[in-house]
Parts: sequence; C-alpha cells; structure tokens
Amino acid sequence: MLHIYCPYCEEMREEEEFSYSGEAHIARPTDPESLTDAQWGDYVFFRTNPRGLHHEMWNHAAGCRRYFNATRNTQTYEIHETYKMGEQPTVTGGKP
Amino acid sequence: MTNMHSPLHHIEVPASVAAAGVVMREDKYRGHLNLRGNPQDEAFTSAVAKTLGVALPTTPNSSAENGTTRVYWLCPNEWLLLVAEGTQGQVEADLRAALADQHIAITDLSSGQTLVNLSGANIDELMLKSAVYDCHPSNFPVSKVVQTTFAKTGAVIYKCADGSFDLVIRRSFSDYFFLWVADASEEYGLQVV
Ligand SMILES: [Zn+2]
Repeated sequence: MLHIYCPYCEEMREEEEFSYSGEAHIARPTDPESLTDAQWGDYVFFRTNPRGLHHEMWNHAAGCRRYFNATRNTQTYEIHETYKMGEQPTVTGGKP
Repeated sequence: MTNMHSPLHHIEVPASVAAAGVVMREDKYRGHLNLRGNPQDEAFTSAVAKTLGVALPTTPNSSAENGTTRVYWLCPNEWLLLVAEGTQGQVEADLRAALADQHIAITDLSSGQTLVNLSGANIDELMLKSAVYDCHPSNFPVSKVVQTTFAKTGAVIYKCADGSFDLVIRRSFSDYFFLWVADASEEYGLQVV
C-alpha cells in the first residue's frame, strides 16, 4: 500500500482513500475548433507514459475529495512530492 | 417524528450484554448540513460565525462546537454542520439570509446520512481493525475529524471528549455498517443502546 500525503488534508493517508486520475498538466486547447483530428486525438487519448518521473493527478476520493498532483517514479513507485492544483512540480529530473 | 425512520431503526437491540466491550448508539435525526464557501472571504466567515454562534474551523481535520451545533472541516472550502434535531431547516434559512448574494452552497443531507456513536472498553481495538486511518489516541486527539473509510465504506470520524468516536455514515450503507460492527465486536460483546 502507498502512503500518500494529501496537500489539502496535510496528512499522510492510506492509498485506499485515493483514486488515480492520470497524467497532470495537460493544457486544454484554447481554440479546439482549429485543431485537426490528429491534434484533438492527441489531446484526448495520448499520454506520455514515461519510465521514471511522472507528474500525475490523484483524487482524495474518500477524504477531502480534492484533486491534487503527485510526482511519482513509475519504476519504483516512490512519490517524491504532492502539490496542489495550479502549482508546479519542484522535482522534474532536470526537465521543465 | 412518529412517521420517521432513522437509518438504523430496524436493527435488533439485543438483551443487555453483561460486559459489552463495544457500545453503539445512533444519534437519530440530527440535522446534517453541508456548507461551501470561501474561507478567505471575511464577509462569509463572519456571517456564518454570527449565525451559528461558532467560527468555521479552517485548520485541516479540525472541528468546532457550540452547544448542540458542531462544525467539521471537510476540505478547504467545505464544512459539515451537525445541528439539533429538527432545526436544520431554520439553520439553513438563517444561513441563506445571512449569506444572501454570496457565492455559497448549502445542502441539507439530514435524511441521507446518520450519526453513530461507538464507545466502550474495546473501542480502540474495533477502530484498529475497521479503519485504515490510525485511530490510536496518539494520532487521533479529541475533537479531531477525519474523512476516511471504515470497513471500506466512507465515514467521517470524530473523536469525542470521552474517548468515544462519532461516525457520520451514509444511510444506504447503514445496514452494512451495522453488520460489520456486529461481526467485528463479536469477540468483545456488543451493546446497542
Ligand atoms: Zn485530502
């Protein structure tokens, strides 16, 4: 079981209270009408699926019911940080 | 209230057990109101404090109390108000009047959930095997409130001054909840009062 720090409840909580919600920081297209089908498909369906550091959304479903972000290593499952919606990660592995 | 049935009205009350380690009591018909608003907005917080007679707690996992009104912190902009039986309609109306024109939400949840008190000599053991959250006194001081799971079902758990726990559970899960408590308490003895 993972122990996850909720940045809103400000506590470590059991994984059972959370649900995973996929890649974080995906910007919604500001002008969707102008997108090609390929660009729209890329926005809706395609994710980076990296090996290593991953910025992803979690929902504290059984707790405060807030979404937040986590930086997790997909190889080791280590969670390096969690941060509120609207904030930027500090652990980026040298990448922006 | 003769035509009302509390969520746990149907459970059988066993003949008093000699030395029950767990005692369960449903706090029937309490008013439950969900309140949302901006805690950074002084107009909101002061109007609520004036209406309820108690300030909204803004520290995570904390609560505040004034007489029969208890306020739980649920998330940074959401609170659960537990008020005396039958007063929720008036409290809601008073809040709406005090918060007119503000960006807020008030939802009456009274018939959708219920408040259950669990106490007894073995209450800590019962919590240990039922909740994923650490309910040990060292991690769960009096008046702390935690939204978590209890035997897989959602619960808002509050620690009372006497060491017992108040749980807010959903009406639709109340039967399941009772069956779990009855099973988990078998080794200690359960008394329903
Ligand atoms: Zn939370």
